[in-house]
Amino acid sequence: MFHLITGGSGSGKSSYAEERMLCYSRQEEAMEGKGKRPCIYLASMKPYGEETQKKIERHQRMRAGKGFVTIECYTELDKAVLPLNSGILLECLSNLAANELYRKDGVSRDCIKTSERILEGIRHLLNHTENLVVVTNEVSSDIGAYSFETKEYIAMLGRLNQRLADMADKVTEVVYGIPVPVKES
Amino acid sequence: MIMVIGGAHQGKCSYAGKICPDVKWVDGKTCGEEELFSSGGIYRFHEYIAGRMREGADISGLPRKLHAQNPDIVIVTDEIGYGIVPAERQLRDYREMTGRICTELAGISEEVHRVVCGIGTRIK
Repeated sequence: MFHLITGGSGSGKSSYAEERMLCYSRQEEAMEGKGKRPCIYLASMKPYGEETQKKIERHQRMRAGKGFVTIECYTELDKAVLPLNSGILLECLSNLAANELYRKDGVSRDCIKTSERILEGIRHLLNHTENLVVVTNEVSSDIGAYSFETKEYIAMLGRLNQRLADMADKVTEVVYGIPVPVKES
Repeated sequence: MIMVIGGAHQGKCSYAGKICPDVKWVDGKTCGEEELFSSGGIYRFHEYIAGRMREGADISGLPRKLHAQNPDIVIVTDEIGYGIVPAERQLRDYREMTGRICTELAGISEEVHRVVCGIGTRIK
């Protein structure tokens, strides 16, 4: 199962994603006697300062006790070392995309190359799990009065979302906590 | 009248091309009123609104006029207004006007499709 979950900020997409992930993981465990394997939480938000630190802590509290094994992955998703698992939750694509596009080492400011690298990362995850849940973000529904760099980022994320939705079995947009089906398996 | 709406870069034009394959399109960024009223379809309709507003035209009556003169048009437009209200007056007015016009057009349209991540859902 590859489930893509999107929505605006503060829409409740993370808690919906966690719930779905644990559900897929339980189904997987019940299916065959593969033994208990962890659910991996791939966290892509870099702790830049107080605000991001607080956000990260809020997410950590939200998933505490649910049995996730957290692996931090800010860039180079395609090289992430992944243990045997019953599912992977990537939270979230919009952070990963920003981290890749604005890398300090300046590897690439090229949106096409960055997108390809991220897609390679997603394929890497799909090769290492039966259940992938990816959280992304809707950032393109306003008048676009932004800097050139921001516009470029918005366009890149929009196109990435289209590519991922095409690959996914299921796509859901969460609107104020309500899961709205976009694509059903 | 058919509307295809959604955020920027969601694949609205390719979706519209699939559901309305025989339409001849004009670009809202460059087309004039006459072209709009005689075209099969318009994409970047929000840019048409922006352009007319820059010229200082009163376009509040546009939905009714368009429906009267070109009732079979397909309109592809960005859905805007899901972010922060901009600080500049002009941008606020444009954002508000686009919302009002599109709401009225959606009210008269037979079909409204919303595209998210390249996937269209008919919402009307």
